[in-house]
Amino acid sequence: MSFLFLQAAASGIVTGCVYALVALSLVIVYKSTDVVNFAGGELLMLGGYLGLLALIYFELSYPVMVIAVIAAMYVVGALFERITLGTVRGRRYSKNAEADLVPVVVATIGLGYLLKGAVRVVPYTEEVRRLPPLLSGPPIFVGDVILQQQDVAIIAATVVIMLALTIFFGWTRIGKALRATSQNPRAAALIGIPVKSMRMIAWGLAASLAGIAGILLSPKLLMTPDMGNVVMLAFAAAIIGGFSSLVGCVVGGVILGVVQNFIGILFSPQAMSVTPFFVIMLILVLRPQGLFGELAFKKV
Amino acid sequence: MYGDLSSRSFAGILVLLALGFLLPLVLPEYYLYLGNTLMMYAILALGLDLLLGWSGQFAFAHIAFFGIGIYTSALLQMRLGVPFIIGVPIAAALAGLVGLLIAIPSTRLRTVYLALATYAFAECAQWVLRTWDSLTKGSDGLRFSPPDLLGYVVDTDRRAFPVMAIVLALVLLSFLYLTRSKLGRALCAIRDSEHVAAACGIDVKRTKIVAFVLSAVYAGVAGGTYTLYQSFVTPDSVGLAQLILVLTMVVVGGSGSIAGVLVGVVLIGLLPEFLRAAPRGLLVWQEFFYGLILILATMFMPRGLWGFAEALLARAQPSTKPDTAAASTAGVRQPAP
Repeated sequence: MSFLFLQAAASGIVTGCVYALVALSLVIVYKSTDVVNFAGGELLMLGGYLGLLALIYFELSYPVMVIAVIAAMYVVGALFERITLGTVRGRRYSKNAEADLVPVVVATIGLGYLLKGAVRVVPYTEEVRRLPPLLSGPPIFVGDVILQQQDVAIIAATVVIMLALTIFFGWTRIGKALRATSQNPRAAALIGIPVKSMRMIAWGLAASLAGIAGILLSPKLLMTPDMGNVVMLAFAAAIIGGFSSLVGCVVGGVILGVVQNFIGILFSPQAMSVTPFFVIMLILVLRPQGLFGELAFKKV
Repeated sequence: MYGDLSSRSFAGILVLLALGFLLPLVLPEYYLYLGNTLMMYAILALGLDLLLGWSGQFAFAHIAFFGIGIYTSALLQMRLGVPFIIGVPIAAALAGLVGLLIAIPSTRLRTVYLALATYAFAECAQWVLRTWDSLTKGSDGLRFSPPDLLGYVVDTDRRAFPVMAIVLALVLLSFLYLTRSKLGRALCAIRDSEHVAAACGIDVKRTKIVAFVLSAVYAGVAGGTYTLYQSFVTPDSVGLAQLILVLTMVVVGGSGSIAGVLVGVVLIGLLPEFLRAAPRGLLVWQEFFYGLILILATMFMPRGLWGFAEALLARAQPSTKPDTAAASTAGVRQPAP
């Protein structure tokens, strides 16, 4: 029995890391542009399919494919921010930030549908596909627990990306400028930060991250145009972590992954699917700032 | 703008009622089915717009209240034999009650958090509908018998059409009064600036909760009318895809305006029909088109098609309506005419 729980915990950590990667992408967008990105899941899906396209159609090698996907996703994210969100933001019509969020969020929902529809119309995606894993080989035994090599790659990638992002936002000039842009765009513009480019960078980074998550997740999941639904788990992970903390995302993702697996064992696989939503509601009602976030109030 | 209803609004409602009784005499069944669907969506979309357009709250729970409305009125009638006229108010009241329970904790939350909490609630509600097999028949779906209105059995779209028109007329009338009332003005004030509204003596939290509950009641009524012209429901009919459809209607038509929402309902509601008439391959593109429409609408028509048309009209005749023209060029959103 205890072995069962150990194995469940291990696989929970792995899936949690994938949630965390998507959550990181959502949080970067929220931290630097104040937008909740409802298209995060579809960006992940697009990343997975672009990877498949690069491997099978263009016959690129795996490392080249990863770089190509990161670059392509960066362009998608940056262009969406520049073309769509830039225009939407230019047309603000009320003084209330909350009401202004509506059109921006609707635009990201639109992007999600657009991407899903665009992938679905390609006849190739009618069948369920599978992306080859980054690392394949005999599974690794840690005590009694079995880990696939791909799982190790996922955990390693998550930790590296989280550390890199923490350093980026905390210590580099661009990272600090991104944070300044989010806190007060007007003041940031006054001290010479190119706000528009900053927002494009943030969206580009976020889309690239979602693409990486797509490449890592696609070998484990069945690839369909609907695989973007995983974004709700990422939202849950981000909310557990407080929606603005990078470390919080990863911890939140891992907690969610493990709890979900335990609930699957203790109750039923059906109960597993509702866990993230239940967690979101519970945390928001009891502790809206999440486990790691500070409650931020924005004054007029 | 405020105060008594304009005679134009009254005339519109009378025309709707007249059409409700006349059209079933002439139109074929399929067109009446489309009409019923559009009227149901109109009620649903108006309720969503009360939150989105009038009070500026981004809440996704709407579709869950719609589901509560459908299942409650269908089950009341199937299991307990409660007639439609009593069943729908009970369903609406239940939706409102659940709405109140959700509103009290969630209206404390702002922006992202409100959207996510209400979305999570909608998913939880859908999950309950899917897993509570003994009551809702789970994912297999629930088949229900045609409702009986004091002896008038609504078993065809032809018979449902006038009833639908009456319900929609009542909803429109209540919506017109609501948006003209003190509450409606308080909502607009909160949407435009919460701080100013609070400084004017508006109880922001209470007003938000009331708006949330009323919106849930409208969704419950929409759910009740669903049982008039449909005989089958699955948990999938009350999922996110449905919500996005209603959201598209509101955004494309013009949120914060009754006429705008109705325009959106008709255009987006009939879009699948146009796509169906087109070559078969086009149906696959539906999802893509919805996405594109949403993006383009938020980019180029922030006040929807209706607001766009109004701005054009105001520009065409600046001398007759100086205040509207000035307001729309300054980009200030105005409540519905």
